[in-house]
Amino acid sequence: MNQMVRALCISRKDIESYYGKPPLITWGLLFPAVLMLAVYIKDPQTYLAICPGIIAMTLLFGNTSMAAIVVTFEKRSGTFQRLLLAPVTCRTIILGKAISAAAYGMASSLVLTLGLVALLGMPLEHPFVFAVGLLLGAITFSLLGLIASVVVREVFEAMTLMNFFRFPILFISGVFVPLAALPAWAKPVALVSPLTYIVELLRYGIHGQSYFGGFWIPVVVSLVFAVVSWIVGERIFQQRARL
Amino acid sequence: MRQTDQPGVDKLTKDAAKVIIQVRGLCKSYGETRALENVAFAVREGEILGYLGPNGAGKTTTINILCGLLPRDAGEATIRGIDIEQDPVTVKEQIGVVPEESNLYPELTSRRNLEYIGELYGLSRSTRGLRTDELLESFDLADKAAVCFQALSRGMKRRLTIAAALVHSPPVIFLDEPTAGLDVPSARALISLIRSINRDGTTVFLTTHNLAVAESLCDRVLILVRGHVVAEGKAAEVRQRVAKPGTLWVVLSGQVEQESLRTACPLIKSVAVVEGRWCLETSDIHGVLTQISTFAEAQGVRVLEINSDTASFEDAFMTILTDKSGAPEVKS
Repeated sequence: MNQMVRALCISRKDIESYYGKPPLITWGLLFPAVLMLAVYIKDPQTYLAICPGIIAMTLLFGNTSMAAIVVTFEKRSGTFQRLLLAPVTCRTIILGKAISAAAYGMASSLVLTLGLVALLGMPLEHPFVFAVGLLLGAITFSLLGLIASVVVREVFEAMTLMNFFRFPILFISGVFVPLAALPAWAKPVALVSPLTYIVELLRYGIHGQSYFGGFWIPVVVSLVFAVVSWIVGERIFQQRARL
Repeated sequence: MRQTDQPGVDKLTKDAAKVIIQVRGLCKSYGETRALENVAFAVREGEILGYLGPNGAGKTTTINILCGLLPRDAGEATIRGIDIEQDPVTVKEQIGVVPEESNLYPELTSRRNLEYIGELYGLSRSTRGLRTDELLESFDLADKAAVCFQALSRGMKRRLTIAAALVHSPPVIFLDEPTAGLDVPSARALISLIRSINRDGTTVFLTTHNLAVAESLCDRVLILVRGHVVAEGKAAEVRQRVAKPGTLWVVLSGQVEQESLRTACPLIKSVAVVEGRWCLETSDIHGVLTQISTFAEAQGVRVLEINSDTASFEDAFMTILTDKSGAPEVKS
């Protein structure tokens, strides 16, 4: 319980220091909002098809980037060492950092979603499933960002490492091209991407339908990805987060 | 005072109840380079231990192992009887650490930094508030409570970093080069602060390159060379260990025969007269003083002036560093 409280303290401090800063909120929202607007202006009839993908992409880029930047920055400035000197476990540090990064991603995506609902009339057939999708995506992507942050030293190295993973999966996870329309060779690859299941969960939340038929498969697989990311993250943190 | 590769171990057993930090057979390597080789020492409750050595001796490595930032390769390291690797959380609750580079959050104010550290140590809101006020007051930072850490002067940053290490009132504090980079007034203020922390009962483990600070501040010093403990004891004992024959400069009110002086003062090893002053070499300054006083009285002359040249702690430190017998070559 004590450690849980300390994790929340770490999150609150990170939100206060980094995630709550206006430039960061704007940065997280501006790009997806402009992208959505561009697609809407081009074709108001079909923009809805890529809404789930754009929201999932906002989560992916926002969470992986910020989680990686915050930890790498703290490692460089020496303040991460302060955290390691405190009586908190590795698990507490990961939890604290992941909660704040996930909260930032959730908040950005939620503002984008509300904007799309209010301004462009985007439907929300299953708001609860949509929220679960946002939550699972935020957790998994934050953990992936944290994993990247402990295996590198510099912020640019973290970004480079993340981009090796992020950009390719954008094209095979149903963000811009629906899974059904992917070439046969790409479909098995899509199934190992965590982004695929988040996009399909959000799609179910928005349209009431997904590539997998319902929401259970994406929920279960996303949960598995979140748990695996946690286990890998904890192991890597324990090995590499010390000096 | 001993010169050994295993200092402190026998003494430890006798004073076990008072030992707060105990290190035995500590080894650490970075790749092929051995940073610590069978290091052993004990720190007793309430004392200030100066952990000295040249750059690369292994001082910071020892601190990092003791506070859980680095894993050790072999050996034992306990604080209040608890092994840092077995129960890091409990050990970290018992210690405060001030690293060589201040590592507080630049974007947070002085107050928020202390409060946040208090949160990480599980202090209640009311305790945190009280402790923060108390520390800001006693570290003369009350008027900087709302100033961001990055905007503080270097001396203030050092003070706040020490204050942060004391938020949870730890029984042990590690100070890694606390006066590094500080101007003389700031360094002096910091030294008196360390004394007062120690007076309040906190055990202080201090590394410094400032030997004058070490000599004046520390109850005991421990000298580390190439990952080996080569000397341990009070600073005066370390100085005495390498003491070379001291030189006494004496001015008498009248003429005396050199031969009669030598006869009356057998502790004098050599005598010379330099610019009207007697230059006397001896290994027992106190004994010679007594003999000269008696001799002068017998000769009917007065001692007008006495000065002595003795080895400083810095001289002793340098002698130890260059003494190859004390620091075996470390395989690398």
